[in-house]
Order: sequence, then structure tokens, then C-alpha cells
Amino acid sequence: MLKVLCISLLLVLAAPGLFIQAENVAPPSPRRVEITAHRWAFDSGAVTLKKGEPVILVLKSLDVPHGLRIRELGVEIKVPKGGTAEARFTPEKTGDFIGHCSVFCGAGHGTMTLTVHVVG
Amino acid sequence: MWAVKHHMFVGNKKQKNPIAATTQTIADGKDAFSHYCVACHGLDGQNTGVPFADRMSPPVPSLASKPVQDYTDGQLKWIIDNGLWPSGMPGSKGILSDDEVWSIVVYLRHLPPAGSQGEPEMYSH
Repeated sequence: MLKVLCISLLLVLAAPGLFIQAENVAPPSPRRVEITAHRWAFDSGAVTLKKGEPVILVLKSLDVPHGLRIRELGVEIKVPKGGTAEARFTPEKTGDFIGHCSVFCGAGHGTMTLTVHVVG
Repeated sequence: MWAVKHHMFVGNKKQKNPIAATTQTIADGKDAFSHYCVACHGLDGQNTGVPFADRMSPPVPSLASKPVQDYTDGQLKWIIDNGLWPSGMPGSKGILSDDEVWSIVVYLRHLPPAGSQGEPEMYSH
């Protein structure tokens, strides 16, 4: 009987804590998508993201300074030579969007594109 | 010659600029312009500080001049992409992205006053 009472008491004391914990559940952490840039290409050429899902785009340069601008999604990242930079955003519309290198990097700069597929 | 160039040699007359003019897109255009165009056209697009601008044949035109501004946005894009014969204007296909070229067109429509940007750094050493 004492055992039952003790367990009941523990449950009563712990219950508010359980509710508080439930209220404080953190949203899922953003998905990290790594993209490597070098003269004159982004390594993968295309990435697929989900509408409404927060994402962190991590841009890594293997050589000179590069950038990634996806104008329609409001994304702009600039990375120093050999460095890494990131941008956090949530795609709010579906479709295919073309990102370009936004830091002039030489003769093939204009051909550096990345296609971003945003699916529902 | 001017009329022939405008109507026969330079295509893409009807294409509209997909990039609206905002403070940001004008700045983007200026940035792209400063990488590729500045050596011949100066920072202001009006040849300020370009030592050979008058010695080219034909001379480098001011991009604020009426003959240049009379081109449509689509034609300006075409000229930047393909160059313009027989002037020394080279094409930029593959060197600049479409996004940058359209931004440059935005900048061309909002050029700053002549001389206000100083001269290109490459000529000041």
C-alpha cells in the first residue's frame, strides 16, 4: 500500500513537469544542406527542398571567393576564398529556382548555376 | 548607321527585364557592372577615368547618351550578351549570368551623375 501511495505521489508531483516539458518541445532543427563551390560550378548542380521546412544552406568554397544568390527565394550567401558561410531560410513557394554565383570569379562565372527544386 | 544598328543588327527588342528597379537591384547591377564593364565604361558608365575612351574607333559611347538609352531593355541585354560589331564591345555570354546582365540593364537605366563615382581603381596606380 505504501508503495502504491509513493508511486501515486511521484506521479502527482511529476505531472506538471511533464506538461511544461510538452509545451517547451523545441521545433525540429533546420535541415543542413551543404553546397561546395569551385571555379566554375556548384558541386551538386541541384538540391531539393521542402516548402515550409526551415533549411540552412552551407556554402563552402574550394578556391576563390564565391557567392550564391537565389533571387526568387531571397537567398544571398557570400563566402571568402577557401571558407564557409551559411544562410538560414524557409522556402515559402514551390517550383524550380535558379541560383547564380554572385561574386565574380572569372571567365566561367556566368555558367555557375544551382537549381533549387522546392516541393510541396 | 545608328538607325540600322537599332533596327537590324540588335535583336531581342521586345524582351522585358524580369528584374524590377529597386535600391537593391540597382546596387546588384552596379556590382556586376564593376566586374566586367568598368574597364571601358568607367564606374559611372560615362567613361570617367578611362584613358582610351576617345581613342577607340568608334569611341566608347557614354551609356547615358540618347543613342544608348534609346535601346530597349531587351536590346541592351542582347548587346551585353553578344557584343556589338563593329565597335569593340565584346559579348559576355558565360562570363556573366542572365541575372547579372539584367541587373546591369537596371543599373544602365539609373546611372549616377558623370564623375560622381571617381575613376576605376585599375587606372589610378
